[in-house]
Amino acid sequence: MAKKKLSPTLKIFLIFIAIEIAIVAFSGNFSKELKIGFDDGKFIVKNEATHFDLQEKITEEFQIDEHYRQIGEIPKIYNSEKIYNFFKTIFGEATAVGTFNLLRMLLIVDMVLLLMAYLIRKKLFTRPSKPQIMFEMIYVLLEEFVVETLGKEKRHFTPYIVTLFIFIWVCNMIGLVPIPGFMEPTRNLNVPLGLGFIAVVVVHATAIKVKGLWHHLQNYFNPIKNPLFILDLVGEISKVVSISFRLFGNVLGGAIIILVVSSLVKFIVFPVGLNLFFGIFVGTIQAFVFTMLALTYIGVEISE
Amino acid sequence: MENITLAAGIVKASALLGAGLCMGMGALGPGVGEGFVAGKACEGIARSPENASLITRTMLVGQAVSESTGIYSLVIALLLIFST
Repeated sequence: MAKKKLSPTLKIFLIFIAIEIAIVAFSGNFSKELKIGFDDGKFIVKNEATHFDLQEKITEEFQIDEHYRQIGEIPKIYNSEKIYNFFKTIFGEATAVGTFNLLRMLLIVDMVLLLMAYLIRKKLFTRPSKPQIMFEMIYVLLEEFVVETLGKEKRHFTPYIVTLFIFIWVCNMIGLVPIPGFMEPTRNLNVPLGLGFIAVVVVHATAIKVKGLWHHLQNYFNPIKNPLFILDLVGEISKVVSISFRLFGNVLGGAIIILVVSSLVKFIVFPVGLNLFFGIFVGTIQAFVFTMLALTYIGVEISE
Repeated sequence: MENITLAAGIVKASALLGAGLCMGMGALGPGVGEGFVAGKACEGIARSPENASLITRTMLVGQAVSESTGIYSLVIALLLIFST
């Protein structure tokens, strides 16, 4: 009997199904409250948790400090009570679980970036391998944008732009890993706000370098040369606010929608379609938009 | 439910009502704007199909920028729900 070979599409589909079942069965988040098996001659999948509150779940997911203050327990990340009390003497009542989680996720993202850089640099070929082709494509594409916007003599901005894009992209993608406690670092407002501040500092440093300090300051403090200087000052603040709140709001909104929809089915189905849209599509688009806006701000200051 | 006073109840109820109104009204503008951008991009692609990739890229960036007012109203709605 000749064995039929499976087509590649079907293979990928089967792999996805297997991963789905494995996630539902073995993930720590699900298996606590989920019961799969035979009962009364029927195959059942049901959630055993009787009490279930969406408000509590959202608080646990997005305001973890508030959650632990409400239930009054020692958070799981502290192994012993001694460490917890030590931190409590420093930070007071607000023991910083959220900050700890955020720093842990940022360290993981940094390790992923360093590992990627190391693995790709270790094997550079003149006939490139597949990951090398991907990264060269990203670099060449963004370098084209930089040359279009800033001109050919300003192409030394490309490493900053590429780093910004890859960092935000990995930050948005790491929320897809179905391990309890994994979250996007960009879901916390501090990360996009810091990236926005860095972008504006780069913009002004470039402007001072190109136009000189005195000429640049006259745009903001000289009412004779620029009668609407107060509006420009407010505009600089609103640049940071708009660029960072856009990224933050998109990622947070996607995460809340995924949580609410999966609470409608009592957390027994992993919402693949929603993760595809809000995780991959919106994450990529927002990383691209953040990068393009930072590039545009630099370009506006240079071209004057 | 724990017992809450009448004043705190009124504040909470009006905050929730305000969050709903904020999200609904804030979603009007981005909806109209994004639809307008997509329609114009369709016209552009129909007129010059060789520029399709450039037009699509510009359209996505423009839509994401015009979406930002909706995102601000989302942030304000979340603040109203969770901080009162």
